[in-house]
Amino acid sequence: MTAIPLKKDPYSIIITGVGGQGNVLASRLLGSMLADKGFYVTIGETFGASQRGGSVMSHLRVSKEGVASPQIPRGRADVIVSLEPVEAFRVLATYGNPDAVLLTNTHPIYPVGVIRGELSYPPLDELQDVISRLLPASYFIDATEQALLLGNAILANIVMLGALGRLNIVSFDRENFHAAIGRRVAADKVAVNLQAFDVGYGMVQV
Amino acid sequence: MSYLIDEGKNVQHLLMGNEAIVRGALEAGINVAAGYPGTPSSEIIESFSQVAKERNLYVEWSTNEKVAVEVAAAASFAGLRSMCVMKQNGVNVASDFLLHLASSGTRGGMLLVSCDDPGALSSVNEGESRLFAQLLEIPLLEPGDFQEAKDIIKWAYELSEEIRNIVMIRSVTRMSHASGNVTYGPLPSDTAARAKFNYHGPLLDPENGPVISMILAAPELQHGPQQEKMKKAAAIFETCPFNTYTGPEAPELLIITSSACSLYSREAVKILGLGKRVGILKLATTWPLPPVFLKKHLAATERILIVEEVAPTLEDHVKVLAAESVQEIGPKLFYGKKSGHLPSVGELNPDLVLAVLSRLCAVPYEAAAGVFATEAKALMEKLAPPRGMIFCPGCPHRASYWSIHNALQLDGRGGFVCGDIGCYVMGILPAGFSTVKTLHAMGSGSGIASGFGKLRQFGMDQPIVSVCGDSTFFHAAMPALANAIHHRSPFTMVILDNRGTAMTGFQPHPGSPINVLGETVPALDIEKICRAMGAKVEASDPFDLEKTREKLGHLLEYAEGAKVLILKQACALSPEKRGRKKYEVTVDETLCRGEDCGCNRLCTRIFGCPGLAWDGEKKVSHIDDIICAGCGVCVDICPAGAILKKEVA
Amino acid sequence: MKQFVPGDLDAAVIQEGLCIGCGACIHLCPYFQSYRGKTARLFPCTLKEGRCFAYCPKVEVDLDGISRFLFGKRYDSAPLGTYRSIHVSRAGEKVKKSSFQAGGTVSALMYFALREKLIRGAILTGRKELLPTPQLVEKPAAVFRHGLSKYTAAPTLAALNEAIEKGCDNLGIVVTPCQATAVAQMRMNPMGNPSFEDPTALVIGLFCTWALDFRRFEAFLAQEVPLKEIVRIDIPPPPASVLEVYLQDEKLVFPLDKIRPLVPDTCGYCPDMTAEFADLSVGVLEGRGDMNTIIIRTERGERIAREAERQGYIILEEMPQENREHLEWAAANKKRRGLLRSREAGKLNGEEGKTYMRLSAEVIDEILINGKEDAPCHT
Ligand SMILES: Cc1cc2nc3c(=O)[nH]c(=O)nc-3n(C[C@H](O)[C@H](O)[C@H](O)COP(=O)(O)OP(=O)(O)OC[C@H]3O[C@@H](n4cnc5c(N)ncnc54)[C@H](O)[C@@H]3O)c2cc1C
Ligand code: SF4
Ligand code: SF4
Ligand code: SF4
Ligand code: SF4
Repeated sequence: MTAIPLKKDPYSIIITGVGGQGNVLASRLLGSMLADKGFYVTIGETFGASQRGGSVMSHLRVSKEGVASPQIPRGRADVIVSLEPVEAFRVLATYGNPDAVLLTNTHPIYPVGVIRGELSYPPLDELQDVISRLLPASYFIDATEQALLLGNAILANIVMLGALGRLNIVSFDRENFHAAIGRRVAADKVAVNLQAFDVGYGMVQV
Repeated sequence: MSYLIDEGKNVQHLLMGNEAIVRGALEAGINVAAGYPGTPSSEIIESFSQVAKERNLYVEWSTNEKVAVEVAAAASFAGLRSMCVMKQNGVNVASDFLLHLASSGTRGGMLLVSCDDPGALSSVNEGESRLFAQLLEIPLLEPGDFQEAKDIIKWAYELSEEIRNIVMIRSVTRMSHASGNVTYGPLPSDTAARAKFNYHGPLLDPENGPVISMILAAPELQHGPQQEKMKKAAAIFETCPFNTYTGPEAPELLIITSSACSLYSREAVKILGLGKRVGILKLATTWPLPPVFLKKHLAATERILIVEEVAPTLEDHVKVLAAESVQEIGPKLFYGKKSGHLPSVGELNPDLVLAVLSRLCAVPYEAAAGVFATEAKALMEKLAPPRGMIFCPGCPHRASYWSIHNALQLDGRGGFVCGDIGCYVMGILPAGFSTVKTLHAMGSGSGIASGFGKLRQFGMDQPIVSVCGDSTFFHAAMPALANAIHHRSPFTMVILDNRGTAMTGFQPHPGSPINVLGETVPALDIEKICRAMGAKVEASDPFDLEKTREKLGHLLEYAEGAKVLILKQACALSPEKRGRKKYEVTVDETLCRGEDCGCNRLCTRIFGCPGLAWDGEKKVSHIDDIICAGCGVCVDICPAGAILKKEVA
Repeated sequence: MKQFVPGDLDAAVIQEGLCIGCGACIHLCPYFQSYRGKTARLFPCTLKEGRCFAYCPKVEVDLDGISRFLFGKRYDSAPLGTYRSIHVSRAGEKVKKSSFQAGGTVSALMYFALREKLIRGAILTGRKELLPTPQLVEKPAAVFRHGLSKYTAAPTLAALNEAIEKGCDNLGIVVTPCQATAVAQMRMNPMGNPSFEDPTALVIGLFCTWALDFRRFEAFLAQEVPLKEIVRIDIPPPPASVLEVYLQDEKLVFPLDKIRPLVPDTCGYCPDMTAEFADLSVGVLEGRGDMNTIIIRTERGERIAREAERQGYIILEEMPQENREHLEWAAANKKRRGLLRSREAGKLNGEEGKTYMRLSAEVIDEILINGKEDAPCHT
């Protein structure tokens, strides 16, 4: 594929989700694919106690010039990839702007308040409506459903990466992914990850 | 082969700050690394362990941070390069020995790596470790990006050997857990090392004498030379390649910064287009300050903004230097935490720096298109329910706290739990049924409980319980237990033994059968230890709610002395359990009482395992198959027998 | 009636120190549990209207409402409550000699009712060491293992709720006066459950001046005797004024003055000595520790008692006038003291959802005049 020039430098990507969804792996994979392409990549993330049932977020900065801040300034995300729908919203409110592109998994993970019946979780179509109105470039896919078909909900993160690849806004393709995943997971897991990537790739139209 | 020991020439890898530190140490020929797990530091020891064989390293998770420093110090005394690693709170634990070590000095290069957590993202406090460098009178280095995190390590070893003292490296969460491109240098081709401790020389001979920290009314013998070392360090810092300046020759505002804050500052200056007006002095050597270098930059400007996390440490040092040299450099205006321009609580970020720069340089700045931001925020508040912290599905702590809570309630004398450090800090939250009422440092729950237990003399009849993880038990709770047993303090220590240091990623501890290097090692038996110490000991499976509650109930009644209840069940995320369901669990909707009088959603409203969710339409609870870990515990709390389990074949 | 006044049981009763631990709120749901004689609320329940609150005999007790439900008449100031007849009684020849507290009337009646299948099961209160242990008893002979009074308050009604939950009906039960009040309230179906059926067929109430707090009593006796060896505890009728503890071949005697501090505060608010809301009420006959007084209150109680008499399970005799008068005097006194104490604490016709009792001003006045402190005749 031809390298896609950065629309901005640094170009800012957020991968968000809930603790345990494989957020960190997704951001490392994306980061190493872009580093392989010769970019400076800075990834900022928090994990540890805060991930127990909480929101987790990785900030990726892609640059031709050098290291960038591991935290994206407010309102400056160019791409938001969310493994969980209301997390997409949360990130949007802090880091979004009208030109951002959003790709979100539609499978909800309920916060404790919702599980306990004290809070309500917005209906998906309402979320989708509201987000699309705010951001014309939003894409919604049920990555978890596809991941389950492949045998494990955790693969949703890879399905999302596949879909991101299809969106053609960041420079990476299946081959980069193959190389990157090969470095991160055991050899016998590579095939199913590639499959997940392909499924995701097929899930969005541009 | 791990990418950490890639020997390709000038290869580049995307490394976490912690990994960059490891690579740096490997390039410097480190031999011994010891630490105690704690976010955000844990990946350092883990990464060392992955390449230990190839690089001839000895790596250990020590019992606590003080022991880790001692272990690393021994290597240094024997002429090897070593590193001890911990999070900020760990430096407090290690500080006793560190103070002695800084006085006795070291031989082989030795580094103390402290990973601070501004904002307390994964900590009980955001306590700042940099102040220790001043207290200990040792040099402090703070890398400003990932490449530097690697490069500075070798330089630091050389410094340590030059001044014969330990050197402190301070990282922060946004360095340690952030990643960036790092270009590798060569690894030493020879990994053979010979350790020998020379002690035949005269006392105080730094090379061949005994290594002691014993001044005995003659401070000039050791304290004097120690301060000389600091002067030498300051002199070396004058030409430190990691202190850099970018900006105009005479900036209208000089930012002095370090660590991740330098990245925030750079970004803010760039966004505001202030590159021609504002200069950034990024310091790696934040204690002691190199005076000549600093004075040169201070003299070139009138106004200085100091950007750092958390306490105004650098700010204080710079101000002292400026005051001392006011005749040379003239009076200055300082901005920072003391002036209220930046907060001295919580971590910084580009936005905070943007805000202060925009104010000081009169350049207006708005984060995002106003309408979008307000609209998105309003909708978020309306639609996105916040996420509270909870125990994982299948977590033994939920079950343990359930039984502790119920035993205390049934007992009815107003008992409470003294908490400790681990995932189980969440005992203060509804996730742990709000049973924990004191929470401080590692091991202090049991120490405090030991003290409470002795207040019967003053009419306090509340039963006292402390909780403590298996790793915490060895780390710092054993002395507290010994104290309580010896003084017959009738409290109950509940040991939440989930077979590893779970919160930080399941590191082994003295109770584990396998160490960080994968070797089989003697596992200390907590139950036997407690018995041998003389406590009244019971053990139970926390998943057996009824039996656990019953045993605890009996222990609460027993007033003769210290009691221990060991609750053994592996962490839900442990390698042995992860991804494996013991039971297929379902809710029989026809039996579920839901919100009716007779249950009122005990499982979802109170128990709160995320594997169970409330269906507001059908008015029944159900199992979320993707999330449920199949532990089967909720089956035993349901009053209607509506939750069913079937063993997974 | 009660069901219209919802409230928070924990705040209104347990936190106020009014809970006697009767067990009426236990085994309904997971929130209330009994442990070593005390009722604890494990977690807050958010329901505004619940059975726990409706059943509890220590909050929003509408004495008049209960009386109208059970007897079809208003609650008046009669010291012994509403009744049909009063007798002296004891177990008959059909009942083998056994460990009874007094005349064995209670055990005999339950034995009879079980044998004749007038009830399907009996909720009785045994003990393990000093801890009272309520149980569902289905075999007639097992009744005798549960004889003897446990002078501590017991969560007897927890076993009733548990049996009901299991689907049992036609139950007999032996209860203290506060428990009898709770059972009456349960029988009123206060939640208006459409499929509700009265689970009881026979409620025998015990006379009661006060019960002891289990934990305090246990701590007290544990210092004096090995608890395992206690075979029987007795409070012989006045003027003895002692509590007797029988071991295998020894008897310890404690003056009641030493025992009274072990009585929970809540008994001081209670106006009921003779279990006025039971079918049959039984006590010790004054001056005759081996005989009972029995008060027959309801039609179903009367039917069972008479049949038991006819078949020789119990013996009923006439009650001497003097004994009745003295009983009335004692009962009137308790009633008067209870109301006064409750009124002082704002618990008589007090704050909605928090008050102990409701009663018309007129009846209150009658009671306060009736309950004179001086004895009617001798003792
Ligand atoms: C706490 C208490 C206080 C009492 N105070 C008085 C009093 O002041 N004046 C008076 O005349 N009589 C009093 N009695 C009643 C008396 O002790 C006898 O129980 C009664 O006379 C019946 O005698 P019996 O021989 O027929 O009993 P038994 O045939 O021996 O049968 C006793 C029955 O009482 C039940 N029982 C025992 N303990 C309890 C308890 N704690 N709660 C509920 N049920 C229980 C058992 O299930 C058993 O069936 C009191 C009883 C109790 C339990
Ligand atoms: S605890 Fe049981 S009865 Fe209650 S809501 Fe949950 S599944 Fe239903
Ligand atoms: S079995 Fe129940 S308690 Fe265990 S993980 Fe599943 S839902 Fe949670
Ligand atoms: S209202 Fe019902 S569910 Fe709630 S505590 Fe009372 S009895 Fe239990
Ligand atoms: S019902 Fe009985 S046990 Fe429950 S609170 Fe009321 S008096 Fe106490």
